[in-house]
Amino acid sequence: MISFDEVSIRYTESASPVIADASFTIPDGDLCLVVGGTGSGKTTLLRAINGLVPHFVGGIMTGRVIVNGRSTRAERPRELADLIGFVGQNPLAGFVTDTVEDEVAYGMEQLGIAATAMRKRVEETLDLMNIAELRRRPLMQLSGGQQQRVAIASVLAAQPRVIVLDEPTSALDPTAAQDVLSALTTLVHDVGMTAVVAEHRLERVMQAADQVLWLPGDGSATLGPAAQVLGRASVVPPLAELAHALGWSEVPLSVRDARRRVARERITLRPLAAGPDPLRPSSGERSDRVERPAVCLRSLTVKHGQLRAVDELSLTLEGGSITALMGRNGAGKSSLMWAIQGALPSTGTLSVAGRDPRTLSAEAARSLVGLVPQEAADLLHLHTVGLECAQSDRESGVNAGTTWALLQRLGADFDADHHPRDLSEGQRLALVLAIQLSAGPSVMLLDEPTRGLDYTMKHNLALILRDLVDRGTCVVVSTHDVEFAARISQRTIVMAEGEVVADGPTREVCTSSPAFAPQVTKVFLPDPVLTTDEVVARRV
Amino acid sequence: MARTEAPTHPWAWWVWALFAAGAVSVTTNPLLLVLVVAAVVAVVVARRSDAPWARSVSTYFMLALVIVAFRVVMQVVFGGQRTGFVLFSLPELPLPAWAAGIRLGGPVTLNSLLAALYDGLRLAAIIICVGAANALANPRRALRNVPAALHELSVAVVIALSVAPQLVESAHRVRRARRLRGGRVKGWRAVPALVVPILEDAVERSLTLATSMEARGYGRTRDLTRVPRWVSASLLLAVMAVTFGVFLLLGVPGGARPGVVCLLVGVVVTAVGLRASGRRLSVTRYRPDRWRWRETATVALALAGLLAVAGVMVLDAGVLNPPTRPLTWPSLHPLFLVAAVLFAAPIAATVPDAPSPSSERPR
Amino acid sequence: MSDPVARRAVPLSPRSTALLAVVTPLTVAAFVWPLWFHPSGVASNSQLAPLVFALILPVVLAVVISHLTGDDLDVKALALLGVMSAVVAVVRPLGAGTAGIETVFFPIVIAGRALGPGFGFVLGTTGLLTSALLTGGVGPWLPYQMLAAALVGLFSGLLPRLRGRAEVVLLAGWSLLIAFAYGWLMDLSFWPFMTGMGSTISYDPHASAWVNLHRFALYNVATSMGWNLGRALTTAALVLVLGSPMLRILRRAAVKGRFA
Repeated sequence: MISFDEVSIRYTESASPVIADASFTIPDGDLCLVVGGTGSGKTTLLRAINGLVPHFVGGIMTGRVIVNGRSTRAERPRELADLIGFVGQNPLAGFVTDTVEDEVAYGMEQLGIAATAMRKRVEETLDLMNIAELRRRPLMQLSGGQQQRVAIASVLAAQPRVIVLDEPTSALDPTAAQDVLSALTTLVHDVGMTAVVAEHRLERVMQAADQVLWLPGDGSATLGPAAQVLGRASVVPPLAELAHALGWSEVPLSVRDARRRVARERITLRPLAAGPDPLRPSSGERSDRVERPAVCLRSLTVKHGQLRAVDELSLTLEGGSITALMGRNGAGKSSLMWAIQGALPSTGTLSVAGRDPRTLSAEAARSLVGLVPQEAADLLHLHTVGLECAQSDRESGVNAGTTWALLQRLGADFDADHHPRDLSEGQRLALVLAIQLSAGPSVMLLDEPTRGLDYTMKHNLALILRDLVDRGTCVVVSTHDVEFAARISQRTIVMAEGEVVADGPTREVCTSSPAFAPQVTKVFLPDPVLTTDEVVARRV
Repeated sequence: MARTEAPTHPWAWWVWALFAAGAVSVTTNPLLLVLVVAAVVAVVVARRSDAPWARSVSTYFMLALVIVAFRVVMQVVFGGQRTGFVLFSLPELPLPAWAAGIRLGGPVTLNSLLAALYDGLRLAAIIICVGAANALANPRRALRNVPAALHELSVAVVIALSVAPQLVESAHRVRRARRLRGGRVKGWRAVPALVVPILEDAVERSLTLATSMEARGYGRTRDLTRVPRWVSASLLLAVMAVTFGVFLLLGVPGGARPGVVCLLVGVVVTAVGLRASGRRLSVTRYRPDRWRWRETATVALALAGLLAVAGVMVLDAGVLNPPTRPLTWPSLHPLFLVAAVLFAAPIAATVPDAPSPSSERPR
Repeated sequence: MSDPVARRAVPLSPRSTALLAVVTPLTVAAFVWPLWFHPSGVASNSQLAPLVFALILPVVLAVVISHLTGDDLDVKALALLGVMSAVVAVVRPLGAGTAGIETVFFPIVIAGRALGPGFGFVLGTTGLLTSALLTGGVGPWLPYQMLAAALVGLFSGLLPRLRGRAEVVLLAGWSLLIAFAYGWLMDLSFWPFMTGMGSTISYDPHASAWVNLHRFALYNVATSMGWNLGRALTTAALVLVLGSPMLRILRRAAVKGRFA
């Protein structure tokens, strides 16, 4: 269906190629997962499929890309719209109109499809994506998962044979992501479309994948059956990590496969020793360092109009520990973090290291509580990284060069004259984290830091956070990524509708409910094991 | 959700409102002005939706009041005619030579005040008619029905209407985020920190949007041949003819007749030329707005109202412009009532607009 | 002159240039009609003049816009146009509530400068149209406002080439000028309506242009000097503070967009 024939792509004459001599063919009707680290060329490859590269975003391409017999060299992306549907990373930014129905019809209007045929197809598409009841709703008011399904519907209406999606679930909570994935599998299994999907977090998608296209980052591309390619790839989702640790050559693609193999090979774990958890020490449990509570909330309430985003919440957080904050989108996680920082008006008692950030000046509050918001770029307004660092030094009243040094410690590998908007998600996160750390806060809050990070970057982030904890900082991370939460945190708090619905040691919270259990836990259920490292340590 | 009937065609509301504006523009009789305004407001109140533009009508009322008040104050302070029934006298200020011809203060007469009030009321009534069209016509639907030659313009405006609320949201977010950087910079110098991230966001969004439009086939049905040379040449000539015609009509003594001819030729050629250049695009419309009997009735009723006022002009022109010198009571012609009823009659011919989707939001 | 790359956002063909050369004097004439209007014949009623303009200005505007956007308008330029129009529409209410503060020219001047005269012209029209649609401000004044804003965008793109601080100062001076000019022209064209005919600072169709100009000047100083001054100073101040970062952002967008 989609064949790449010795394709090489570079963006400028002098630059090294992003894709080098890639040759492969994705068969008709397959779901092909494109995996690789940040900067490995996933987006470029996806854009080459419908000719956005080189026609639209530029770049120098050699070789041929043929889709269903049509060459992207001869036809522009707009002419291929009836063959290939393309859904970009941020669905809301790609919407032309403002209501669901108009957006679904928009593509067909452009193709000049007759009004009666269009009417019928819009209805079919709304049903297929299960969004018929949303038809008159404004796009801005939809949840992320609904927006993503509308974006898919809006390209489906033109009845393409191939659908290309760039990170369709990266910004979604687990339930919404599941909705999008089931919509996608419907398309592949029931409609018979060919799908090409790029993702960073593979744990949910990989069981649906027929093929995996691995981009190691050197420009090459390897296509093969998912289980085999993932066994070799440097991109390691939890089950691949488990497979590597247990010496399996093929990666089990689902928890079920892994469980069966574990049962077949009679892999058993030593029972967890009673008493303090030896693998997950938090500094609070180390008797040599007794911390005062860093954050103390009593009946904290945040209201957005009529909505109580945080509802009479009481909580104590200790220094020198990482707390994971989980719950679906809109559960009040962000509001809670902003309220703790004092940037969002709230009622109730709030005390951070004995002071109330709401009553402090912005500067003083910042040296007490640091917050890295979801849209980290909102904090940046200068045109080079160096200028931002210098500005941050002035704002925090520290010696010149402090922020830059912090950034180096966080493992930044880019120049000071880079434009902050040109950085990757991970690099930008590091920059904003460095800026916030320069004020030396004793509490650090991170709102959805793992969005758009690949496994390597998440690993780096975990190391950075551990380092902070060792210095006595109280770290709170809100995340949808249960794997990440299980790996880094000592304590997990689950929120719903502005209230705490579960609070306890991560091991207890994450192993007691399947919604918040990492894949490794599900494989070894009922044993409360959290990570592959533990499996290795406790293997009999 | 219960299905509601499709709302009235936006252009029908515009034609209705413009006919009403035309009717009030020929009179200074306060009775007719008040009657027509009452009819128009009745239709607005009965037929407007809860959309943001529907709220604009009160702004227009404020504007109309300001205009009337401004007129009256101007007349009191700078009035030229100072004879008649004197209400009170203002001290007359002597003005320097460079302001010769301007009088400040002096006696204020009821005659001149009423003249100013009537004339102000007429302008206010026109403004309210325009405001009524703004309140009733859904701008998005109006945009869907622009001529093909202006397709790009309408696309740009549709995008802008969708993006504007997102920009406002982004502004709120960035403003809140300022505190996280300490907010040490204050006053004018803090503005870039607020504006730059919003604009960066907007520009990035435009690139994403363009990608999405391209991938969905935007501009695909465009006939790639350029606009024929004769079309663009005749459009240029037509615009020149229009320009020339305007100068003849308004600026040259006795130039009215050739001026009108030039204008008409220019406008007709423009219409033909725009049609020809618009043919190259074959974009279709999803659920196009249909022009039904309802729209025809609305337009016909408004036309009848306009004709009723025109009838008064023929039968008894004096009653349309009641003299203020000497003072007389403005009189009520029976056709005034007919006109008002006709302008209000579209209430019976149309249905209320469907509630806007935002009010259907659950929770 | 702005960058050659950016100028391709909305290209100006020789035909479009010729069209703009006709439309610019027509626009100016539409604004200053009280000065050259001659009461005679059919057109004796001075109410007719604005009516004629209300009918023909939209037609003329349609021709120019369809010419500028009809051929080879890049999708990226169109999307940027839409987003920038939203910016214009969003910043406009920021000024409307506060006496004398007019924010609408600022993005148009900057965009015209960074992305060329063609883009500036079209942005002037789409921006004001969007704003009018969002706030329900469509009326006979809209074509005037659209054309005025369009010419501001056009000439901002045609200013002499300078870089760095000098460019920002040039733009600030230019904004000062156009804000005043816009205020005067808009007041002049609606002057006969605002004051009626009866008072001694009203428009008199039978008087000479010079007498009318004299009367108008006095009227304007008396009623809207503060307003115009406020508008001019805010626009200039906005350019001084935000000019260079905004120019940088838009120029970066032009390079990224590679308008073809």
